[in-house]
Amino acid sequence: MWSYLLKRILLSVLIVFLAILALFITLHSIPGDPISIALGPRATPEIQAEYAARMHLDKPLYHQFVIFIGNVIKGDLGNDLFSNRSVLLILSEQLPYTIVLAITAIGWSALIGIPLGCLSAVKPNSLLDKITGIVSVGTIAIPSFLVSIWAILIFSVGLKWLPVIGAGEPGDFGDQIYHLILPAFAVGLGWVGYLARMVRASMLEVMSENYIRSANAFGLKSRTIIFRYALKVAILPTITLIGVGFGALLSGTVFAEIIFSRPGIGKIIYNMVLARNFPVIQGAVLITIGMYVIVTLIADLIVSWLDPRVRDTL
Amino acid sequence: MNKILQTRRQLLQTIAFTGIAGVAIGKFPGIAYAADGATLKIQFERELDSLDPGYFVGGSPPCDVNWALMPALVHYGRDGGWIPSPHVESIVARDATHIDFTLRKGMMWTNGFGEVTTEDVAYSYDREAVSEWKGDYVAYDHVEIKDKYSGTIVLNQPFAPFMNTTLASGTGIIICKKAVEAAGGKFTTEQPASCGPYLISEHRPGQVLKLRSNPEWNGAKPAYENIDCLFVTESSAAALAYEAGELDIAKVSADTYARYLKDIPANSSLTVAGALQYMWMGMNTDHPKLKDIRVRQAIQHAVDASAVVQGAYSGTAEQSYGVVCPGLTGRRDKAGYSYDPTKAKALLKEAGVSGLKLTLRTLNNQERMLTAQIIQANLAAIGITVEIIPLDGGPFWDMGQEKKGDTWKELELWIMRYSSGPDPYEPFQWFVRGQVGIWNWERWSSDEFEDLFAKGVAETDTGKREAIYTRMQEIMDETGAYVYLTHEPEVFIHKSSLSPHFSPTAEMIVGAFKEA
Repeated sequence: MWSYLLKRILLSVLIVFLAILALFITLHSIPGDPISIALGPRATPEIQAEYAARMHLDKPLYHQFVIFIGNVIKGDLGNDLFSNRSVLLILSEQLPYTIVLAITAIGWSALIGIPLGCLSAVKPNSLLDKITGIVSVGTIAIPSFLVSIWAILIFSVGLKWLPVIGAGEPGDFGDQIYHLILPAFAVGLGWVGYLARMVRASMLEVMSENYIRSANAFGLKSRTIIFRYALKVAILPTITLIGVGFGALLSGTVFAEIIFSRPGIGKIIYNMVLARNFPVIQGAVLITIGMYVIVTLIADLIVSWLDPRVRDTL
Repeated sequence: MNKILQTRRQLLQTIAFTGIAGVAIGKFPGIAYAADGATLKIQFERELDSLDPGYFVGGSPPCDVNWALMPALVHYGRDGGWIPSPHVESIVARDATHIDFTLRKGMMWTNGFGEVTTEDVAYSYDREAVSEWKGDYVAYDHVEIKDKYSGTIVLNQPFAPFMNTTLASGTGIIICKKAVEAAGGKFTTEQPASCGPYLISEHRPGQVLKLRSNPEWNGAKPAYENIDCLFVTESSAAALAYEAGELDIAKVSADTYARYLKDIPANSSLTVAGALQYMWMGMNTDHPKLKDIRVRQAIQHAVDASAVVQGAYSGTAEQSYGVVCPGLTGRRDKAGYSYDPTKAKALLKEAGVSGLKLTLRTLNNQERMLTAQIIQANLAAIGITVEIIPLDGGPFWDMGQEKKGDTWKELELWIMRYSSGPDPYEPFQWFVRGQVGIWNWERWSSDEFEDLFAKGVAETDTGKREAIYTRMQEIMDETGAYVYLTHEPEVFIHKSSLSPHFSPTAEMIVGAFKEA
């Protein structure tokens, strides 16, 4: 297990490095002069030169990359070019909102999707299975931004039950939960379908294994067979999927953060790309990559703990 | 097992009861809709990057915040002209280059920095004249300080728009010399001292800016004690939030405006805050395909701008006949050409051009793309094939600038929109000779145009200015390089109980908001 853990961590470090390199190259390949986009048409040559020097844009790209990596190792993500606030501080303000939204969205979708997948697998081709199939494909197929808009129109504009904008007052837990309901619903709905289909497919495969047949032959209760023996194995790919899904949601919640005017990492990346505010973009993407790698690492470790055979695959 | 089932049932019952009860009483914790209490909830379209008037980020300053917090010598009145601000006893233009002013006594800076003084005024304007926004201060020379409260602004040349486009604008804000120097000479979103009807009580970046009435303010009390400015960058989301009752005022896009004109939400009003934007299709007069003026004139006659107004803007924009926007001196009611496809075909034939293929570059948003498609169809009708090239803001704003690569050489047609200030001199500044290869992408120049531009800036007689700016637009028509399209309005939806106040450039002046 320790050898697997070490290899997996080294792999994660390599992934982070390559991702940062890819980010850096991509960011600097975006068409358009970052200085004029950031400062607008009125900026004087002196101000442009000062900006370029502050961002190290006057240095070769490889030099900028080395500076950035060096600063990251020192824990310095730089300052926002416009407000001069620490990027780390800005991101620490935004990240909790995204994490809470991602956990809530994945959480509620797992609570519904996994049992739904189990039930479908236990009674394949039944009416329940067919309805679950239709609902799953339906939720996967509907774009999340459409779900958001419909949800707003129904629950906020029509019924006036739920709020549209913001994340609630700090310190008012009830208000924050209340502002979380619609975005979490919109973000998580598609995942209900994904998880139900994944669990169903895995369960069907596992349910045809010999040890399940043996358990049936021994007369064990079907509930025990499903939840104690079959689901434990069938859930493995789902854990990986949840890990990857959670990582994807860290930046993929951007539409919900924009439509619901919530703070968050996705929204800040979107806004900062438009403003070419490189330090914040680099910091935000770095944090996202880091979180993604950590979450997938945890998911892989859980899988390897549940299924020791996986440890030999790396 | 029974025990477990009971517990689960009890849990479900509890959840259901809580939900129903919550819905029934409509009072989940912390919910407060816009109409509640004395807090006005308004939409801010963008996050605050900097409140320092010398270092505003990007193309437009956050005037709506600064005007609520900071002193100025003049403000915009409800008719769009300038009025003395609450911070001055008097302000009078003595002659074309001298403006005398006297500050009100006892206007106190926050944080113990004393009174607003003439020295603060001089410091603010001197600083502005060398800042990123020094373009607004080209005519400013210095402030003569007479005493603590009075002085004279001295201009280096007569400059008719000085009051409206400089002093009343976002760059006319006065800052506290002592406080700014103590803060290191520069600040961002935390003002070292303010003096206005409101104070910032809380700023949660990306979420909300809370303004609360300033207890030390000794000017007229604002109508609303509390204003929450919610950052909603997406206009459709703002409209939905307004309809859900979470905002009292929100800016609406052209398509939403069209929808509201047919079916406006209950107890709501629409206010057009201005139409100081001018959109046109430009042509590169240096491009070999467009070098012949008859080809350019053919294109002018082929495009039906009224179809753009209807098709791309649902009839909500005003048709444009020049770069001077509605309500300003020099605004025309017809251009030097008209929609005439027959004449367009004849001009092409006369030029010996057939099978012409052109590219049309535009920003990739809904209205511009629709506009491009209408133009494409118009030009197809006279035998010109147009390829539309949609672009992101980055490459779009660089493409005509010589310093930003060679795209300017390939430019043929493009759809452009600029914003104007409240004075007609502003749009013309982008088309003078010095702007060729910078913002004059059409790449023409004219001695007469240069001469008239200088005269227009210095002229104070409205009739003479009208004649100057009309002639300047005729010169632009004669280049054949422009097809004027629309003046897009800035529209706000708000509660009928609210009487909002806007600058001519459609920024909210929240300190002057009142109940209708």
